[in-house]
Amino acid sequence: MKLNKDVLKKILSKLPQTHEEEIGCDDCFEELHTFAEMELEGKSPEKAMPLIKEHLDNCGECRQEYQALLEAIKVLNDK
Amino acid sequence: MINWFKRRSQSSNSYQTNEEWISALKPPPEDAAIQQLRNHLVKGLKASLYKYVDRELDNFVEDIAQDSVLKILDKYDTFRGESKFTTWAMKVAVREGYSELRKKRYNDISLEQYSSYNPDEKEAVEIEHEQAGPDQLTHESMVVQKVMKIMEEELTKKQQKVLQLLMIDQIPMTVVSEMMDSNRNAIYKLVHDARLKLKNRMEVEGMDPEEILNEM
Repeated sequence: MKLNKDVLKKILSKLPQTHEEEIGCDDCFEELHTFAEMELEGKSPEKAMPLIKEHLDNCGECRQEYQALLEAIKVLNDK
Repeated sequence: MINWFKRRSQSSNSYQTNEEWISALKPPPEDAAIQQLRNHLVKGLKASLYKYVDRELDNFVEDIAQDSVLKILDKYDTFRGESKFTTWAMKVAVREGYSELRKKRYNDISLEQYSSYNPDEKEAVEIEHEQAGPDQLTHESMVVQKVMKIMEEELTKKQQKVLQLLMIDQIPMTVVSEMMDSNRNAIYKLVHDARLKLKNRMEVEGMDPEEILNEM
């Protein structure tokens, strides 16, 4: 296994926000539509659903899909 | 039967409320509802995928919308009504789209390519030291070697392999899940467990990740 400086930095930077209890991608997906609508309504979903926010911060793929969902529903709401 | 004909005859209507959607998608689903849902997904997908798919955007989006409609028909009864139905449906389509996109981009990579990886192998630690002086270089090397040792001692072979694929080979988690015959949720949990083990062991060793980062 080759570990270069960039990878080491990436691994280390993930450790401070690592907690015993974290939700996975499935639990995040279950709530993503609610989280997205709250965001677009300016209702601070990160306060109501901190575990979802934490997962989105940690998981690049869920974050990418969340941002895509926001873009899609913005367009759909702009009728 | 009469209700079914009534529902079919509403085909020119536009579906707005969650109740209208759910009622129209109950078996047998109304053709007009499926068409409207499909159009909706196509529009949303185009808006969110155009940055990643260029020449074949229309075909790609049509296929994803088609597959997503089938998934939605299969599980629309799990929709709990906390949002607009169309937002929930869009979520399903976005995941479908991005999963396919990630696989499409990495379809040249086969598991065989990585099967030669052996976590027991002590490969040379690579560090970039373009501007580093000798002291810095030695300190960094020591830190990297210490973390490597901790990783080898604390992580399972499977965790090491997944970290290698994700962080070093930079393969998307969706693709890694397939390579490992697993799913994204399980891979995330496996990585979370690995992070936790590293964090706890570093704590025991008196190593502060933030402090090390600041020194690098």
